[in-house]
Amino acid sequence: MTKCVGCGNCHIICTMGAISLDADGKSVVNQDECVECSTCWRVLRDEGYRAWYVRAIRKALSFFKLGYLADADLCPTGALTPPELTWPRILRAQFSNPTVVHPGTGVPGRGTDEIKSNDVTGRLRRGEAGIVVEIGRPGIGAFFRDVEKVAMALAPLAPLFEPENPVTHLISDFKTGRMKEDVLDEKILSAIIEFKTGMEKIPAFLGVLEKVQHEIDTVISVGVASRCLPDGTIPHEEWVKKAGYALSPNGKTNIGLGRPLFREDEP
Amino acid sequence: MTNTLHRQGTIESLKHDYVIFAHTAKGINREGAAPKIREFMKICLKYNPVNMGDVKQGSMHQDDIAIESLIANLGEGTVAAAVFTDLDTLEKVVQELIRADLGICINITGLLDEVKECCRRAGITRNSAEHSLGIWGAKDRLPEREVMEFNTMCGHGMVSFNLIRKMIEQVRMRRMTPKRAALMMAKCCECGAFNPARAEALLERMRERGFLHSAAFSHGLATLPE
Repeated sequence: MTKCVGCGNCHIICTMGAISLDADGKSVVNQDECVECSTCWRVLRDEGYRAWYVRAIRKALSFFKLGYLADADLCPTGALTPPELTWPRILRAQFSNPTVVHPGTGVPGRGTDEIKSNDVTGRLRRGEAGIVVEIGRPGIGAFFRDVEKVAMALAPLAPLFEPENPVTHLISDFKTGRMKEDVLDEKILSAIIEFKTGMEKIPAFLGVLEKVQHEIDTVISVGVASRCLPDGTIPHEEWVKKAGYALSPNGKTNIGLGRPLFREDEP
Repeated sequence: MTNTLHRQGTIESLKHDYVIFAHTAKGINREGAAPKIREFMKICLKYNPVNMGDVKQGSMHQDDIAIESLIANLGEGTVAAAVFTDLDTLEKVVQELIRADLGICINITGLLDEVKECCRRAGITRNSAEHSLGIWGAKDRLPEREVMEFNTMCGHGMVSFNLIRKMIEQVRMRRMTPKRAALMMAKCCECGAFNPARAEALLERMRERGFLHSAAFSHGLATLPE
């Protein structure tokens, strides 16, 4: 706070729009809205000026009715420092800052392997569909209480929650989808509920999402995946279309170069 | 994560947006994979990607990151990515990766039919595929669709709506060139999946056809009308 000169560059960079000027003309972070993504700290270069120097220059320029527009990726005085986080607030960083390795998954960020290594793991086998429901994306963010609402809506259909997923680690009761009580007020950039199910259950799960989407005040990005048939066709397409939903023309493809290749006859 | 899955845009624009990335599975092909991931990145680098990076170190468009040291410091548990703007180059990369036989998992995000065709021409059949079913929920909270096209190029959500608006405004006021504004956005993306060439083209198009004149985002579909 002593270093800040109120240039406002961090307001623009902030992924949640959680930084604003206070009455003294210094930037303050709304701690409820901040998701600890550290984008402000990582992106803004420290110009290394003293605060008094920047203020003096500004005063001199304003005397001549002049201003100075700094580049958007600068913090003139290096006023930003990431805080030390403890539980449960540390979850904000684990789900919002892609450089932070999640302790449960061993991979950076909020995600998992999904189909990225399906050629060697066989996580999704023939006849199975993987569904990813990312709450808060794009750009709006979500509280875990929103994530819980979606998990509770899905739970009665008995999804097989992905064990390596960071959200799965926070679910306290898989039958109800209820999450750990102490995490519900934490806000994150997004969190992914990931599960697999039989292909024929895709319409039922999409029907549940159709309903629950109106009960939360944020956005959801939905994805569906499956192992391709020997001729390269995508089996889930038929089921999604049958349920009345449009598929994106773009998406992700695992091209099958991983070794050793998973064989369907493996246990 | 699904950080490259939900990219939005017209088909024409998405034809210039292909992300190829390497991944490994714990206990199967992750252990000792660092040299293979480095080799993957060296192969990609030969074909002049518009962006490269890994989430642990950042992307080639960030300050103080030299591409050679980025590749040299790649570890085994990372996801390394490169972005290309045309299918022909992507196909050459895939063919070279097949020849290299690295044994790590290779994924491509882009137009699914084109990627399928690219695999067919390279003599392989795709293993698995994932579709976006678009955006659901409180879509009225989202900004104009033009802003979404930039924002969804960084699935981790590191390129804020406010920065995108600011960059569009700077280009409109002729205070920044589209290229410089696109690189500023790319700098925020940690994993190197953002496509600055496509962002520049979108800004150029805006300069010709007008800025932010579309209605607020509401359809939720991944494909936008031409």
